[in-house]
Amino acid sequence: MDIIEISNLTKYYGKVKGIENVSFNVKEGEIFGFIGPNGAGKSTTIRTLLGLIFPTSGSAKLFGKDCIEFGSDIRSAIGYLPSEVFYYEKMKVKDLLKYSASFYKKDCTKRINELSEIMELNLNRRIEDLSYGNKKKVGIVQGLLHEPKLIMLDEPTSGLDPLMQQKFFDIISEENKKGATVFFSSHILSEVQHLCNRVAIIKEGHVIKVEDIKTLREDNYKKVTIKGNSLDYVRLNFEGVSQLVKYDHSSSFFYKGDVKFLIEAVAEQEIQDILIEDPSLEEIFMHYYK
Amino acid sequence: MNIITRELRSNLKSLLIWSGSLIAVIVMMLSEFSAYYNNPDMAQIMESMPKALMDAFSMSNANLTTVSGYVSITVVYVNLMLGIYAVLLGNSIIAKEERDKTAGFLMTMPVTRTKVLIGKITVAIFNCMIVLAVVIGSLYIFTLKYNPDQEFYRFLWLITITTGIFEAVFLSIGLFLASAVKRYKVSSGIGLGILFALYVLSVLVSLSNKIDFLKYATPFKYFEASKLLQNDSIEGQYLNLSLAWIVLFMFLTFRIYNSRDLRD
Repeated sequence: MDIIEISNLTKYYGKVKGIENVSFNVKEGEIFGFIGPNGAGKSTTIRTLLGLIFPTSGSAKLFGKDCIEFGSDIRSAIGYLPSEVFYYEKMKVKDLLKYSASFYKKDCTKRINELSEIMELNLNRRIEDLSYGNKKKVGIVQGLLHEPKLIMLDEPTSGLDPLMQQKFFDIISEENKKGATVFFSSHILSEVQHLCNRVAIIKEGHVIKVEDIKTLREDNYKKVTIKGNSLDYVRLNFEGVSQLVKYDHSSSFFYKGDVKFLIEAVAEQEIQDILIEDPSLEEIFMHYYK
Repeated sequence: MNIITRELRSNLKSLLIWSGSLIAVIVMMLSEFSAYYNNPDMAQIMESMPKALMDAFSMSNANLTTVSGYVSITVVYVNLMLGIYAVLLGNSIIAKEERDKTAGFLMTMPVTRTKVLIGKITVAIFNCMIVLAVVIGSLYIFTLKYNPDQEFYRFLWLITITTGIFEAVFLSIGLFLASAVKRYKVSSGIGLGILFALYVLSVLVSLSNKIDFLKYATPFKYFEASKLLQNDSIEGQYLNLSLAWIVLFMFLTFRIYNSRDLRD
């Protein structure tokens, strides 16, 4: 069953394009990554799904129901964590969480305590006294306290230290194992790669690719930079190499294929230094998803 | 219900500050009265004032040496203050969610915007009634020492109703502006601007017969205290006109807010 069905979703802010003809589905139980650079339309899509903004045309269904018409119904099964969390400044964390829980027709006290313990959240502080990272923790607890069937995360990890990030991903994986579908946006490919089953890639308001994460791994491009005084550029242009750029005493290129073969080919050159890295998402967009 | 409790709590501080200030203003206004009370000299001085000036301050028909007469001239200022309170409250109770960026929290809860509005408007009406009760209560208590007659209490009752309606008109204007003007920073300014413009218009209408028809445009002209005192009744046409404004602005508030994008 498809939890999210988006068809030809288009949103214009006046004359400014937000997203255009976005279509893809997210299956039940999936962890679905939504990647793209800033301003590509990730938040616009998520905010439309949540009914915060209205589509210009097209539609989206969550749990088989239209996200605008049945918005409040649908949202009882959604947990949402925005990229930057804002709450009522004067409220205590515990009151905010209680207020949030009061919208759901079940007792969430136990889950609030569990999650706060894992996230090491102090419930007695006021929202206004919290640091950015701590507000984010409140956001995580608030977004998950009602054990939602669909978890929507908009750039969730910004502001969390690596340790908390790990804890957060553990919680998300656990929720996923319990049956929750996870939809999350990010501009960090590596973050998406080890978590997601599938990804949609969005650029300038258009979804340019929906792909299995396995396929994306197979298409694993490496960005290679080598330094040397007498590089043989003809022999450098072996199979799998693209975008070969020559500098005075160095060269950079993208490589797709067997890494062993790459090492062997590079070893034949007289090199002084080598850097093999994952291309940035931007570079993938530029070279791969043209 | 949770929205109502939440709004009551978050608006409590401003309610208390407004109530305190209103009591202070009324005490000050009424303390002036002791100079006028049963003082024929004062009455003479007032009579020697230019007619236009008295009209502008809607004091022309008031006998300032009686409690009813004196209170009748304070009503316009009371209305002005309660109008400010209502229009600002109506605006902020809706606009603050976007101003403080908490709309992304509240509106992603399983609740319709209609329900959010109903909760907020309920609290806004309740708070407006509280400040009204504070004002009328102060007028009641601080005039007790003059042993006002039955006529005064009847008059006070009419003021209670009409000022309540007046507040509701400006509350609905405030709600409407928060809903319609996406730039929340300007919507409160527009609200106050409209309020003062309508007040100035009411003064101009008092001064000139040529623009008499404009009296329908400004709620400040609907229930003038001097008329209430003279006629001992509320004019039905203005009552209906007020209700029409309230219904119109409330309807537009719901209509617009239910179908517009929320800022992040």
